Amino acid sequence: MTDTVRATPDDATLVRIRGLTTVLNGKTIFDALDLDIPRGKITSIMGPSGTGKTTLLKHITGQMHADAGSIHLDGRNVAELSREELYKLREGVGYLFQNSALLTDFDVFENVAFPLRQHTKLPEVLIRDLVLMKLQAVGLRGAARLMPNELSGGMARRVALARAIVFDPQLILYDEPFVGLDPVALNQVLKLIQTLNQTLGITSVLVSHELAAVQQIADHVILLAKGKVVAQGDPKTIADDGSPWTRQFFGGEADGPIPFRYPAADYATELGFAGAAK
Amino acid sequence: MNARAPQGNNVVTQSLAQIGACGLFLLTLLGAIPRSFRYLRETVRQLWFVGAMSLTIIMVCGLFVGMVLMLQLYHVLSIFGGTSASGMVVALSVYRELGPVVTALLFAGRAGTAVTAEIGLMRATDQIDAMEMMAVDPIAYVATPRFLAGLIAMPLLCCVFCAMAIFGGHLVGVTWLGIDNGTFWSNMTAQVDIHTDIVNGVLLKSLAFGAVVSLIAVFQGFTTPPTSEGVAYATTRTVVASSIAILALDFVLTAFLM
Repeated sequence: MTDTVRATPDDATLVRIRGLTTVLNGKTIFDALDLDIPRGKITSIMGPSGTGKTTLLKHITGQMHADAGSIHLDGRNVAELSREELYKLREGVGYLFQNSALLTDFDVFENVAFPLRQHTKLPEVLIRDLVLMKLQAVGLRGAARLMPNELSGGMARRVALARAIVFDPQLILYDEPFVGLDPVALNQVLKLIQTLNQTLGITSVLVSHELAAVQQIADHVILLAKGKVVAQGDPKTIADDGSPWTRQFFGGEADGPIPFRYPAADYATELGFAGAAK
Repeated sequence: MNARAPQGNNVVTQSLAQIGACGLFLLTLLGAIPRSFRYLRETVRQLWFVGAMSLTIIMVCGLFVGMVLMLQLYHVLSIFGGTSASGMVVALSVYRELGPVVTALLFAGRAGTAVTAEIGLMRATDQIDAMEMMAVDPIAYVATPRFLAGLIAMPLLCCVFCAMAIFGGHLVGVTWLGIDNGTFWSNMTAQVDIHTDIVNGVLLKSLAFGAVVSLIAVFQGFTTPPTSEGVAYATTRTVVASSIAILALDFVLTAFLM
Protein backbone atom coordinates (compact mmCIF):
# COMPACT_ATOMS: atom_id res chain seq x y z
CA MET A 1 0.00 0.00 0.00
CA THR A 2 1.28 3.46 -0.89
CA ASP A 3 1.94 6.18 1.68
CA THR A 4 -0.62 8.41 0.03
CA VAL A 5 -3.34 5.83 0.56
CA ARG A 6 -2.62 5.30 4.24
CA ALA A 7 -2.00 8.42 6.25
CA THR A 8 -1.25 8.25 9.95
CA PRO A 9 -4.56 7.44 11.65
CA ASP A 10 -5.61 10.00 14.19
CA ASP A 11 -6.93 8.50 17.42
CA ALA A 12 -9.54 11.18 17.92
CA THR A 13 -10.74 11.54 14.33
CA LEU A 14 -12.18 8.68 12.28
CA VAL A 15 -13.16 10.63 9.17
CA ARG A 16 -11.12 13.62 7.99
CA ILE A 17 -12.38 15.63 5.02
CA ARG A 18 -10.23 18.36 3.50
CA GLY A 19 -11.01 20.71 0.61
CA LEU A 20 -13.92 18.60 -0.63
CA THR A 21 -15.39 20.09 -3.79
CA THR A 22 -18.29 18.56 -5.66
CA VAL A 23 -20.18 19.97 -8.61
CA LEU A 24 -23.28 18.10 -9.79
CA ASN A 25 -25.11 19.19 -12.96
CA GLY A 26 -23.42 22.60 -12.77
CA LYS A 27 -24.44 23.15 -9.15
CA THR A 28 -21.73 23.41 -6.50
CA ILE A 29 -22.66 21.01 -3.71
CA PHE A 30 -19.44 21.28 -1.66
CA ASP A 31 -17.07 24.18 -1.91
CA ALA A 32 -13.69 23.26 -0.34
CA LEU A 33 -15.42 21.64 2.62
CA ASP A 34 -13.30 20.80 5.68
CA LEU A 35 -14.82 18.50 8.25
CA ASP A 36 -13.77 16.05 10.99
CA ILE A 37 -15.88 13.25 12.42
CA PRO A 38 -14.72 12.27 15.90
CA ARG A 39 -14.16 8.61 16.72
CA GLY A 40 -16.62 6.84 19.04
CA LYS A 41 -19.12 9.70 19.09
CA ILE A 42 -22.54 10.33 17.54
CA THR A 43 -22.12 13.12 15.00
CA SER A 44 -25.18 14.61 13.42
CA ILE A 45 -24.96 16.28 10.03
CA MET A 46 -27.77 18.74 9.52
CA GLY A 47 -28.67 21.30 6.93
CA PRO A 48 -31.41 22.39 4.58
CA SER A 49 -32.67 19.97 1.91
CA GLY A 50 -30.37 19.76 -1.09
CA THR A 51 -27.20 20.71 0.81
CA GLY A 52 -25.61 17.37 -0.05
CA LYS A 53 -25.86 15.49 3.24
CA THR A 54 -26.53 12.14 1.53
CA THR A 55 -23.90 13.00 -1.09
CA LEU A 56 -21.42 13.50 1.76
CA LEU A 57 -22.19 10.00 3.08
CA LYS A 58 -21.66 8.62 -0.44
CA HIS A 59 -18.29 10.37 -0.60
CA ILE A 60 -17.25 8.91 2.75
CA THR A 61 -18.06 5.37 1.58
CA GLY A 62 -16.49 5.82 -1.86
CA GLN A 63 -19.82 5.36 -3.68
CA MET A 64 -19.27 8.73 -5.30
CA HIS A 65 -16.03 10.52 -6.07
CA ALA A 66 -15.50 14.21 -5.45
CA ASP A 67 -14.15 16.68 -8.00
CA ALA A 68 -11.40 17.78 -5.62
CA GLY A 69 -10.22 17.30 -2.05
CA SER A 70 -9.62 14.25 0.07
CA ILE A 71 -11.52 12.00 2.46
CA HIS A 72 -9.54 9.90 4.91
CA LEU A 73 -11.44 7.15 6.68
CA ASP A 74 -9.41 5.67 9.52
CA GLY A 75 -6.31 7.18 7.92
CA ARG A 76 -6.97 5.79 4.43
CA ASN A 77 -7.68 8.01 1.45
CA VAL A 78 -10.96 6.62 0.13
CA ALA A 79 -10.49 7.97 -3.42
CA GLU A 80 -7.16 6.19 -3.87
CA LEU A 81 -8.31 2.73 -2.81
CA SER A 82 -8.63 -0.05 -5.37
CA ARG A 83 -12.01 -1.79 -5.72
CA GLU A 84 -10.87 -4.68 -3.51
CA GLU A 85 -9.47 -2.32 -0.86
CA LEU A 86 -12.65 -0.26 -0.93
CA TYR A 87 -14.79 -3.37 -0.48
CA LYS A 88 -12.55 -4.46 2.42
CA LEU A 89 -12.98 -1.01 3.98
CA ARG A 90 -16.76 -1.19 3.56
CA GLU A 91 -16.89 -4.42 5.55
CA GLY A 92 -16.09 -2.19 8.53
CA VAL A 93 -18.76 0.38 7.68
CA GLY A 94 -22.50 -0.01 8.24
CA TYR A 95 -24.93 2.08 6.20
CA LEU A 96 -28.57 2.56 7.02
CA PHE A 97 -30.43 3.69 3.92
CA GLN A 98 -33.34 6.11 4.02
CA ASN A 99 -35.74 3.44 2.74
CA SER A 100 -34.01 0.53 4.54
CA ALA A 101 -33.01 -1.12 1.22
CA LEU A 102 -33.80 -4.65 2.38
CA LEU A 103 -33.35 -7.33 -0.28
CA THR A 104 -36.93 -8.12 -1.22
CA ASP A 105 -36.19 -11.71 -2.33
CA PHE A 106 -35.05 -12.68 1.17
CA ASP A 107 -36.79 -12.87 4.52
CA VAL A 108 -35.59 -10.91 7.58
CA PHE A 109 -33.20 -13.67 8.69
CA GLU A 110 -31.58 -14.00 5.27
CA ASN A 111 -31.27 -10.23 4.91
CA VAL A 112 -29.25 -10.03 8.11
CA ALA A 113 -27.30 -13.18 7.21
CA PHE A 114 -26.50 -11.89 3.70
CA PRO A 115 -23.19 -10.10 4.50
CA LEU A 116 -22.04 -13.06 6.61
CA ARG A 117 -22.79 -15.54 3.84
CA GLN A 118 -20.99 -13.37 1.26
CA HIS A 119 -17.82 -12.66 3.20
CA THR A 120 -17.30 -15.54 5.61
CA LYS A 121 -17.26 -19.31 5.53
CA LEU A 122 -18.81 -19.63 8.98
CA PRO A 123 -20.77 -22.80 9.70
CA GLU A 124 -24.53 -22.47 9.38
CA VAL A 125 -25.09 -22.90 13.10
CA LEU A 126 -22.80 -19.96 13.89
CA ILE A 127 -24.43 -17.77 11.24
CA ARG A 128 -27.81 -18.60 12.76
CA ASP A 129 -26.65 -17.65 16.26
CA LEU A 130 -25.04 -14.39 15.07
CA VAL A 131 -28.13 -13.37 13.13
CA LEU A 132 -30.45 -14.16 16.03
CA MET A 133 -28.21 -12.14 18.38
CA LYS A 134 -28.39 -9.11 16.10
CA LEU A 135 -32.14 -9.49 15.65
CA GLN A 136 -32.53 -9.80 19.42
CA ALA A 137 -30.56 -6.55 19.78
CA VAL A 138 -33.08 -4.72 17.61
CA GLY A 139 -36.02 -6.54 19.19
CA LEU A 140 -37.06 -8.47 16.09
CA ARG A 141 -35.92 -12.05 16.76
CA GLY A 142 -39.54 -13.14 16.49
CA ALA A 143 -39.85 -11.60 13.03
CA ALA A 144 -36.96 -13.60 11.55
CA ARG A 145 -39.11 -15.41 9.01
CA LEU A 146 -41.18 -12.43 7.84
CA MET A 147 -40.64 -11.05 4.35
CA PRO A 148 -39.73 -7.35 3.91
CA ASN A 149 -43.21 -6.55 2.55
CA GLU A 150 -44.72 -7.81 5.81
CA LEU A 151 -42.77 -5.29 7.91
CA SER A 152 -43.81 -1.81 9.02
CA GLY A 153 -41.48 1.11 8.23
CA GLY A 154 -40.03 1.09 11.75
CA MET A 155 -39.47 -2.68 11.71
CA ALA A 156 -37.78 -2.50 8.31
CA ARG A 157 -35.47 0.23 9.62
CA ARG A 158 -34.56 -1.98 12.60
CA VAL A 159 -33.90 -5.00 10.38
CA ALA A 160 -31.65 -2.82 8.21
CA LEU A 161 -29.88 -1.73 11.38
CA ALA A 162 -29.37 -5.35 12.43
CA ARG A 163 -27.88 -6.02 8.98
CA ALA A 164 -25.67 -2.94 9.24
CA ILE A 165 -24.17 -4.08 12.56
CA VAL A 166 -23.80 -7.76 11.70
CA PHE A 167 -20.04 -7.32 11.16
CA ASP A 168 -19.63 -5.10 14.25
CA PRO A 169 -18.50 -2.12 12.15
CA GLN A 170 -16.38 0.74 13.47
CA LEU A 171 -18.57 3.30 11.69
CA ILE A 172 -22.29 3.43 10.95
CA LEU A 173 -23.80 6.00 8.64
CA TYR A 174 -27.49 6.69 9.17
CA ASP A 175 -29.22 8.44 6.26
CA GLU A 176 -32.41 10.03 7.57
CA PRO A 177 -33.21 7.14 9.95
CA PHE A 178 -36.30 8.81 11.43
CA VAL A 179 -38.15 9.74 8.24
CA GLY A 180 -41.70 8.40 8.10
CA LEU A 181 -41.61 6.83 11.56
CA ASP A 182 -44.34 7.25 14.18
CA PRO A 183 -43.20 8.54 17.60
CA VAL A 184 -42.95 5.02 19.05
CA ALA A 185 -40.87 3.64 16.18
CA LEU A 186 -38.77 6.83 16.15
CA ASN A 187 -37.94 6.42 19.83
CA GLN A 188 -37.11 2.75 19.32
CA VAL A 189 -34.63 3.57 16.53
CA LEU A 190 -33.26 6.49 18.56
CA LYS A 191 -32.66 4.27 21.57
CA LEU A 192 -30.99 1.64 19.39
CA ILE A 193 -28.57 4.16 17.87
CA GLN A 194 -27.65 5.39 21.33
CA THR A 195 -27.27 1.88 22.76
CA LEU A 196 -25.09 0.73 19.86
CA ASN A 197 -22.87 3.75 20.27
CA GLN A 198 -22.53 3.31 24.02
CA THR A 199 -22.17 -0.46 24.22
CA LEU A 200 -20.11 -1.18 21.12
CA GLY A 201 -18.27 2.15 20.87
CA ILE A 202 -19.35 2.51 17.25
CA THR A 203 -18.81 5.90 15.61
CA SER A 204 -22.15 7.07 14.29
CA VAL A 205 -22.88 9.66 11.64
CA LEU A 206 -26.47 10.72 11.62
CA VAL A 207 -28.06 12.69 8.80
CA SER A 208 -31.35 13.96 10.12
CA HIS A 209 -33.75 16.88 10.29
CA GLU A 210 -35.33 15.75 13.56
CA LEU A 211 -33.93 18.42 15.85
CA ALA A 212 -35.39 17.03 19.08
CA ALA A 213 -34.02 13.55 18.35
CA VAL A 214 -30.61 14.90 17.43
CA GLN A 215 -30.40 17.02 20.57
CA GLN A 216 -31.24 13.93 22.59
CA ILE A 217 -28.44 11.69 21.35
CA ALA A 218 -25.82 13.59 19.32
CA ASP A 219 -22.45 14.47 20.83
CA HIS A 220 -21.49 16.72 17.96
CA VAL A 221 -23.61 18.60 15.42
CA ILE A 222 -22.38 19.90 12.07
CA LEU A 223 -24.57 22.35 10.18
CA LEU A 224 -23.98 22.43 6.42
CA ALA A 225 -25.18 25.14 4.08
CA LYS A 226 -23.99 26.58 0.78
CA GLY A 227 -21.38 23.83 0.45
CA LYS A 228 -19.59 24.62 3.71
CA VAL A 229 -19.79 24.01 7.43
CA VAL A 230 -21.59 27.05 8.80
CA ALA A 231 -21.69 25.95 12.43
CA GLN A 232 -20.57 23.03 14.56
CA GLY A 233 -20.30 22.00 18.18
CA ASP A 234 -22.28 20.13 20.80
CA PRO A 235 -26.08 20.36 20.39
CA LYS A 236 -26.58 22.88 23.20
CA THR A 237 -23.80 25.22 22.08
CA ILE A 238 -24.90 25.17 18.49
CA ALA A 239 -28.56 25.80 19.36
CA ASP A 240 -27.55 28.86 21.46
CA ASP A 241 -24.94 30.09 19.03
CA GLY A 242 -27.18 32.84 17.66
CA SER A 243 -25.66 33.08 14.18
CA PRO A 244 -28.15 33.80 11.36
CA TRP A 245 -27.73 30.25 10.03
CA THR A 246 -28.40 28.45 13.29
CA ARG A 247 -31.15 30.88 14.25
CA GLN A 248 -32.99 30.23 11.00
CA PHE A 249 -32.39 26.47 10.85
CA PHE A 250 -33.07 25.61 14.49
CA GLY A 251 -35.79 28.26 14.81
CA GLY A 252 -37.49 27.03 11.66
CA GLU A 253 -37.72 30.54 10.16
CA ALA A 254 -39.04 30.50 6.60
CA ASP A 255 -36.61 33.06 5.22
CA GLY A 256 -33.08 34.10 6.04
CA PRO A 257 -29.62 33.03 4.87
CA ILE A 258 -31.35 29.89 3.55
CA PRO A 259 -33.59 31.63 0.99
CA PHE A 260 -37.27 30.82 0.71
CA ARG A 261 -37.25 31.55 -3.02
CA TYR A 262 -35.33 29.56 -5.58
CA PRO A 263 -33.16 31.87 -7.71
CA ALA A 264 -35.27 33.21 -10.58
CA ALA A 265 -35.49 36.06 -13.08
CA ASP A 266 -37.07 39.34 -12.02
CA TYR A 267 -40.71 38.70 -11.06
CA ALA A 268 -42.18 41.81 -12.77
CA THR A 269 -40.20 41.15 -15.93
CA GLU A 270 -41.38 37.55 -16.04
CA LEU A 271 -45.01 38.65 -15.63
CA GLY A 272 -44.53 41.22 -18.41
CA PHE A 273 -45.08 44.28 -16.17
CA ALA A 274 -41.55 45.68 -16.45
CA GLY A 275 -42.33 47.72 -19.61
CA ALA A 276 -45.75 48.88 -18.39
CA ALA A 277 -44.24 50.37 -15.21
CA LYS A 278 -42.13 52.72 -17.32
CA MET B 1 -21.52 0.04 -10.45
CA ASN B 2 -22.02 3.51 -11.82
CA ALA B 3 -23.81 2.55 -15.07
CA ARG B 4 -25.93 5.44 -16.21
CA ALA B 5 -28.22 5.90 -19.20
CA PRO B 6 -26.27 7.86 -21.80
CA GLN B 7 -27.46 11.36 -22.63
CA GLY B 8 -27.66 12.80 -26.12
CA ASN B 9 -29.18 15.61 -28.13
CA ASN B 10 -31.27 13.68 -30.62
CA VAL B 11 -32.55 10.21 -31.33
CA VAL B 12 -29.58 9.17 -33.49
CA THR B 13 -26.84 10.28 -31.10
CA GLN B 14 -28.83 8.95 -28.17
CA SER B 15 -29.22 5.55 -29.86
CA LEU B 16 -25.52 5.44 -30.77
CA ALA B 17 -24.59 6.41 -27.22
CA GLN B 18 -26.89 3.65 -25.89
CA ILE B 19 -25.26 1.06 -28.16
CA GLY B 20 -21.80 2.21 -27.07
CA ALA B 21 -22.72 2.14 -23.40
CA CYS B 22 -24.29 -1.30 -23.88
CA GLY B 23 -21.04 -2.53 -25.46
CA LEU B 24 -19.01 -1.24 -22.52
CA PHE B 25 -21.50 -2.85 -20.16
CA LEU B 26 -21.02 -6.16 -21.99
CA LEU B 27 -17.26 -5.93 -21.37
CA THR B 28 -17.90 -5.28 -17.65
CA LEU B 29 -20.29 -8.21 -17.61
CA LEU B 30 -17.82 -10.56 -19.29
CA GLY B 31 -15.09 -9.39 -16.92
CA ALA B 32 -17.31 -10.25 -13.96
CA ILE B 33 -17.99 -13.84 -15.11
CA PRO B 34 -15.05 -15.35 -13.14
CA ARG B 35 -16.20 -13.50 -10.00
CA SER B 36 -19.78 -14.69 -10.52
CA PHE B 37 -18.78 -18.37 -10.32
CA ARG B 38 -19.06 -18.12 -6.55
CA TYR B 39 -22.73 -17.20 -7.03
CA LEU B 40 -23.55 -20.42 -8.88
CA ARG B 41 -26.66 -20.92 -6.77
CA GLU B 42 -27.93 -17.50 -7.91
CA THR B 43 -27.30 -18.46 -11.56
CA VAL B 44 -29.29 -21.68 -11.08
CA ARG B 45 -32.09 -19.71 -9.39
CA GLN B 46 -32.19 -17.31 -12.33
CA LEU B 47 -32.12 -20.23 -14.78
CA TRP B 48 -35.25 -21.52 -13.11
CA PHE B 49 -36.82 -18.05 -13.20
CA VAL B 50 -36.08 -17.14 -16.83
CA GLY B 51 -35.99 -20.69 -18.23
CA ALA B 52 -38.32 -23.08 -16.45
CA MET B 53 -40.89 -20.36 -15.72
CA SER B 54 -41.04 -19.49 -19.43
CA LEU B 55 -41.80 -23.08 -20.46
CA THR B 56 -45.58 -22.72 -20.48
CA ILE B 57 -45.70 -19.77 -22.90
CA ILE B 58 -43.01 -21.32 -25.10
CA MET B 59 -44.78 -24.70 -25.30
CA VAL B 60 -48.24 -23.28 -25.95
CA CYS B 61 -46.99 -20.81 -28.58
CA GLY B 62 -44.82 -23.49 -30.22
CA LEU B 63 -47.82 -25.80 -30.51
CA PHE B 64 -50.01 -23.17 -32.14
CA VAL B 65 -47.27 -21.91 -34.49
CA GLY B 66 -46.77 -25.49 -35.75
CA MET B 67 -50.52 -26.04 -36.15
CA VAL B 68 -51.11 -22.79 -38.06
CA LEU B 69 -48.06 -23.33 -40.23
CA MET B 70 -49.19 -26.81 -41.21
CA LEU B 71 -52.72 -25.58 -41.95
CA GLN B 72 -51.45 -22.78 -44.21
CA LEU B 73 -48.88 -24.97 -45.98
CA TYR B 74 -51.34 -27.80 -46.55
CA HIS B 75 -53.78 -25.51 -48.35
CA VAL B 76 -51.06 -23.88 -50.49
CA LEU B 77 -49.25 -27.15 -51.30
CA SER B 78 -52.50 -28.97 -52.12
CA ILE B 79 -52.83 -26.66 -55.16
CA PHE B 80 -49.66 -28.23 -56.57
CA GLY B 81 -50.32 -31.72 -55.19
CA GLY B 82 -47.35 -31.47 -52.86
CA THR B 83 -49.01 -31.97 -49.48
CA SER B 84 -46.61 -34.81 -48.67
CA ALA B 85 -43.84 -32.22 -48.37
CA SER B 86 -45.70 -30.10 -45.82
CA GLY B 87 -44.12 -31.86 -42.81
CA MET B 88 -40.67 -31.22 -44.21
CA VAL B 89 -41.44 -27.52 -44.92
CA VAL B 90 -42.88 -27.06 -41.43
CA ALA B 91 -39.71 -28.52 -39.93
CA LEU B 92 -37.34 -26.41 -42.06
CA SER B 93 -39.30 -23.21 -41.37
CA VAL B 94 -39.35 -23.89 -37.66
CA TYR B 95 -35.70 -24.96 -37.33
CA ARG B 96 -34.22 -22.25 -39.53
CA GLU B 97 -36.36 -19.21 -38.70
CA LEU B 98 -39.52 -19.42 -36.68
CA GLY B 99 -38.11 -21.45 -33.79
CA PRO B 100 -35.21 -19.19 -32.78
CA VAL B 101 -36.91 -15.91 -33.73
CA VAL B 102 -40.31 -16.51 -32.10
CA THR B 103 -38.71 -18.06 -29.01
CA ALA B 104 -36.42 -15.03 -28.66
CA LEU B 105 -39.33 -12.58 -29.09
CA LEU B 106 -41.38 -14.48 -26.49
CA PHE B 107 -38.34 -14.71 -24.22
CA ALA B 108 -37.82 -10.93 -24.46
CA GLY B 109 -41.46 -10.33 -23.58
CA ARG B 110 -41.66 -12.84 -20.76
CA ALA B 111 -38.20 -13.01 -19.15
CA GLY B 112 -36.42 -9.92 -20.50
CA THR B 113 -39.01 -7.47 -19.17
CA ALA B 114 -39.11 -9.27 -15.82
CA VAL B 115 -35.32 -9.02 -15.48
CA THR B 116 -35.34 -5.30 -16.39
CA ALA B 117 -38.18 -4.51 -14.01
CA GLU B 118 -36.59 -6.51 -11.19
CA ILE B 119 -33.18 -4.84 -11.50
CA GLY B 120 -34.79 -1.43 -12.06
CA LEU B 121 -36.82 -1.79 -8.88
CA MET B 122 -33.74 -2.98 -7.03
CA ARG B 123 -32.06 0.25 -8.10
CA ALA B 124 -35.09 2.37 -7.22
CA THR B 125 -35.22 0.86 -3.72
CA ASP B 126 -31.45 1.21 -3.16
CA GLN B 127 -30.91 -2.56 -3.06
CA ILE B 128 -28.06 -2.30 -5.58
CA ASP B 129 -26.42 0.46 -3.52
CA ALA B 130 -26.97 -1.62 -0.38
CA MET B 131 -25.08 -4.50 -1.99
CA GLU B 132 -22.24 -2.14 -2.89
CA MET B 133 -22.18 -0.98 0.72
CA MET B 134 -22.08 -4.59 1.93
CA ALA B 135 -19.02 -5.05 -0.30
CA VAL B 136 -20.94 -7.34 -2.69
CA ASP B 137 -20.31 -6.62 -6.37
CA PRO B 138 -23.78 -6.14 -7.94
CA ILE B 139 -22.46 -6.88 -11.43
CA ALA B 140 -21.18 -10.28 -10.32
CA TYR B 141 -24.14 -11.02 -8.04
CA VAL B 142 -27.10 -9.52 -9.95
CA ALA B 143 -26.18 -8.90 -13.59
CA THR B 144 -23.93 -11.80 -14.60
CA PRO B 145 -26.11 -14.64 -13.22
CA ARG B 146 -29.11 -13.24 -15.11
CA PHE B 147 -27.07 -12.85 -18.29
CA LEU B 148 -25.67 -16.39 -18.07
CA ALA B 149 -29.10 -17.80 -17.24
CA GLY B 150 -30.56 -16.21 -20.37
CA LEU B 151 -27.67 -17.49 -22.45
CA ILE B 152 -28.21 -21.06 -21.25
CA ALA B 153 -32.01 -20.98 -21.23
CA MET B 154 -32.57 -19.69 -24.77
CA PRO B 155 -31.22 -22.70 -26.76
CA LEU B 156 -33.07 -25.07 -24.44
CA LEU B 157 -36.32 -23.15 -24.78
CA CYS B 158 -35.83 -23.01 -28.54
CA CYS B 159 -35.50 -26.81 -28.67
CA VAL B 160 -38.72 -27.15 -26.70
CA PHE B 161 -40.45 -24.63 -29.00
CA CYS B 162 -39.32 -26.55 -32.12
CA ALA B 163 -40.42 -29.89 -30.67
CA MET B 164 -43.86 -28.50 -29.82
CA ALA B 165 -44.19 -26.87 -33.27
CA ILE B 166 -43.40 -30.18 -34.99
CA PHE B 167 -45.88 -31.89 -32.70
CA GLY B 168 -48.50 -29.24 -33.59
CA GLY B 169 -47.76 -29.72 -37.28
CA HIS B 170 -48.11 -33.48 -36.90
CA LEU B 171 -51.36 -33.06 -34.99
CA VAL B 172 -52.94 -30.97 -37.76
CA GLY B 173 -51.28 -32.63 -40.77
CA VAL B 174 -51.45 -36.29 -39.84
CA THR B 175 -54.25 -36.56 -37.30
CA TRP B 176 -56.62 -33.98 -38.78
CA LEU B 177 -55.83 -33.50 -42.49
CA GLY B 178 -54.82 -37.10 -43.16
CA ILE B 179 -51.22 -36.82 -44.38
CA ASP B 180 -49.52 -40.20 -44.15
CA ASN B 181 -47.56 -40.55 -40.93
CA GLY B 182 -44.60 -42.30 -42.60
CA THR B 183 -44.38 -39.69 -45.37
CA PHE B 184 -44.52 -36.88 -42.78
CA TRP B 185 -41.52 -38.22 -40.82
CA SER B 186 -39.46 -39.65 -43.71
CA ASN B 187 -39.59 -36.44 -45.78
CA MET B 188 -38.64 -34.47 -42.73
CA THR B 189 -35.70 -36.64 -41.69
CA ALA B 190 -34.44 -36.82 -45.27
CA GLN B 191 -34.33 -33.05 -45.75
CA VAL B 192 -33.35 -31.74 -42.34
CA ASP B 193 -29.59 -31.39 -42.00
CA ILE B 194 -28.13 -31.56 -38.53
CA HIS B 195 -25.42 -28.97 -39.22
CA THR B 196 -27.29 -26.44 -41.37
CA ASP B 197 -30.68 -26.62 -39.72
CA ILE B 198 -30.17 -27.75 -36.13
CA VAL B 199 -26.69 -26.46 -35.19
CA ASN B 200 -26.72 -23.26 -37.27
CA GLY B 201 -30.46 -22.71 -37.19
CA VAL B 202 -31.62 -23.70 -33.74
CA LEU B 203 -28.53 -23.65 -31.51
CA LEU B 204 -26.32 -20.88 -32.90
CA LYS B 205 -29.11 -18.44 -33.56
CA SER B 206 -30.82 -18.99 -30.23
CA LEU B 207 -27.49 -18.65 -28.40
CA ALA B 208 -26.89 -15.31 -30.13
CA PHE B 209 -30.45 -14.14 -29.48
CA GLY B 210 -30.20 -15.26 -25.83
CA ALA B 211 -27.03 -13.21 -25.39
CA VAL B 212 -28.54 -10.11 -27.02
CA VAL B 213 -31.87 -10.23 -25.16
CA SER B 214 -30.23 -10.92 -21.78
CA LEU B 215 -27.67 -8.16 -22.32
CA ILE B 216 -30.33 -5.61 -23.27
CA ALA B 217 -32.57 -6.63 -20.34
CA VAL B 218 -29.79 -6.40 -17.76
CA PHE B 219 -28.36 -3.18 -19.24
CA GLN B 220 -31.75 -1.47 -19.27
CA GLY B 221 -32.33 -2.53 -15.66
CA PHE B 222 -29.00 -1.16 -14.49
CA THR B 223 -29.27 2.14 -16.35
CA THR B 224 -32.91 2.92 -15.65
CA PRO B 225 -33.62 6.13 -13.73
CA PRO B 226 -34.62 4.98 -10.22
CA THR B 227 -38.25 6.07 -10.52
CA SER B 228 -41.48 4.19 -11.30
CA GLU B 229 -41.70 6.01 -14.64
CA GLY B 230 -38.07 5.14 -15.38
CA VAL B 231 -38.68 1.44 -14.71
CA ALA B 232 -41.78 1.47 -16.93
CA TYR B 233 -39.82 3.05 -19.81
CA ALA B 234 -36.92 0.66 -19.30
CA THR B 235 -39.14 -2.43 -19.63
CA THR B 236 -40.67 -0.98 -22.79
CA ARG B 237 -37.20 -0.24 -24.17
CA THR B 238 -36.17 -3.83 -23.43
CA VAL B 239 -38.98 -5.19 -25.62
CA VAL B 240 -38.47 -2.66 -28.41
CA ALA B 241 -34.66 -2.88 -28.51
CA SER B 242 -34.68 -6.69 -28.17
CA SER B 243 -37.23 -7.14 -30.97
CA ILE B 244 -35.28 -4.92 -33.36
CA ALA B 245 -31.97 -6.53 -32.39
CA ILE B 246 -33.37 -10.07 -32.82
CA LEU B 247 -34.75 -9.42 -36.30
CA ALA B 248 -31.68 -7.49 -37.47
CA LEU B 249 -29.32 -10.10 -36.08
CA ASP B 250 -31.45 -12.83 -37.65
CA PHE B 251 -30.92 -11.29 -41.06
CA VAL B 252 -27.15 -11.01 -40.53
CA LEU B 253 -26.83 -14.55 -39.19
CA THR B 254 -29.00 -16.02 -41.95
CA ALA B 255 -26.92 -14.22 -44.57
CA PHE B 256 -23.71 -15.66 -43.14
CA LEU B 257 -24.96 -19.13 -42.27
CA MET B 258 -26.91 -19.92 -45.43
